[in-house]
Amino acid sequence: MQTDELIRRLSQDVAPVRRVTPPMRAALGWLALAAAVIAAGVLISGLRHDLEHRLMLMHEQVNLLAALATGAAAAVAAFHLALPDRSDRWALLPLPFAIFWISGLGWGCIAEFIERGWPALGISFACMRFIIGFGVPLTLGMLWMTRHAARIRPGPVTWLAGLAAAAVASVGLSLVHHLEAAAMVLIWHGGSVLVVMALSRLWGARALRAMAA
Amino acid sequence: MSCAALLQAGPLPASRPHMTESARPADPRLVQEMRWGGLLAAAQGGDARAYDTLLREVTPRLRLLARARIRDAAEVEDAVQDALMTIHALRHTYDPERPFGPWMTTIATRRAIDRLRRRGRGAGRESNLDDLPESAASVPAVAEERIAARDLREAVAELPESQRTALRLAKLEDLSLAEASARSGLSIGALKVATHRAMRSLRRRFGVAGKGEDLADR
Repeated sequence: MQTDELIRRLSQDVAPVRRVTPPMRAALGWLALAAAVIAAGVLISGLRHDLEHRLMLMHEQVNLLAALATGAAAAVAAFHLALPDRSDRWALLPLPFAIFWISGLGWGCIAEFIERGWPALGISFACMRFIIGFGVPLTLGMLWMTRHAARIRPGPVTWLAGLAAAAVASVGLSLVHHLEAAAMVLIWHGGSVLVVMALSRLWGARALRAMAA
Repeated sequence: MSCAALLQAGPLPASRPHMTESARPADPRLVQEMRWGGLLAAAQGGDARAYDTLLREVTPRLRLLARARIRDAAEVEDAVQDALMTIHALRHTYDPERPFGPWMTTIATRRAIDRLRRRGRGAGRESNLDDLPESAASVPAVAEERIAARDLREAVAELPESQRTALRLAKLEDLSLAEASARSGLSIGALKVATHRAMRSLRRRFGVAGKGEDLADR
């Protein structure tokens, strides 16, 4: 088809469109939705027995806030990157928060090692189930909201969506599940977040294209 | 052309927040992009004429952006059409409060990059011969010529001495019959016969039919 003919066809019956929601408002909307979903999950699962005590500890508060900030920053970045006229540098926004979060968990591991020696490591598939179980649907929700990114930046938007959803799910998990060792938190929370991000990176672009079609 | 003239050239929304009386941009490119932003804002409301004007006006810019990354002319036109369709699909993502240039440039650039990546993945080791340097494309031809020359040298070497001498003097050195006769010591008649027989042998060997060959044999 000739370019002139294509232009004629495209402009022939151009329908009025509703402009996309501004990225900050869209991110807040998604975060509100995620908070509601995770809160429902937390209520169903029941709060951990030592929650009051844990929330009094400074490093617990810092870890929770860092995870929440990572999720929120990743959501804001994903909604911005989904628009063609935004800078690629938005992808870096969650990086400082993520580094702070992971290094906080790592520091907890070192402190624990100095105090008690090798921690008792165990398997906690419940953690993984929670983060993946909530992370994947929340990722899909964000991909639906950013489906216009399919032809622009599918890669960064999908992994940021995975990071946002998994980090928020990790905050919810911290309210539900008790893990004694910091190393366990790092392995199972961090590992589950990576799994959600990897899944999102593997199939997210395809999902975006399917949603945009 | 003045800003006012450019802005009067087509439909624009009533207010353009990023252009005020006090801060009119002098850069014609910027003015043009602002006009395009206005046209797209109108198209978002369903204005088909504004949309048609916009797409026609941005096409040369899209072509330039595609040419910056793609060499093949047909592929460039495909990338332009791809960018136009993407602009159509993403027209709801344009915010009239923001500049139009980066919005369009990202779309055109991303589509061109995607096209190159897809082509790279699909084509694998394929190369367009037209895109290769002449020396690389002509390697098989040079090799064929060398093989043919070697065969010819071998065929000439197998000819009788008199025919070989006649061929060298009459055909390669391009001497007249008199000169060739003086150089070789053969009569003009003998030279003619030897040259003719040498050519006939070579033609037979390489499967080339000569004019009046059969008659000459009789």
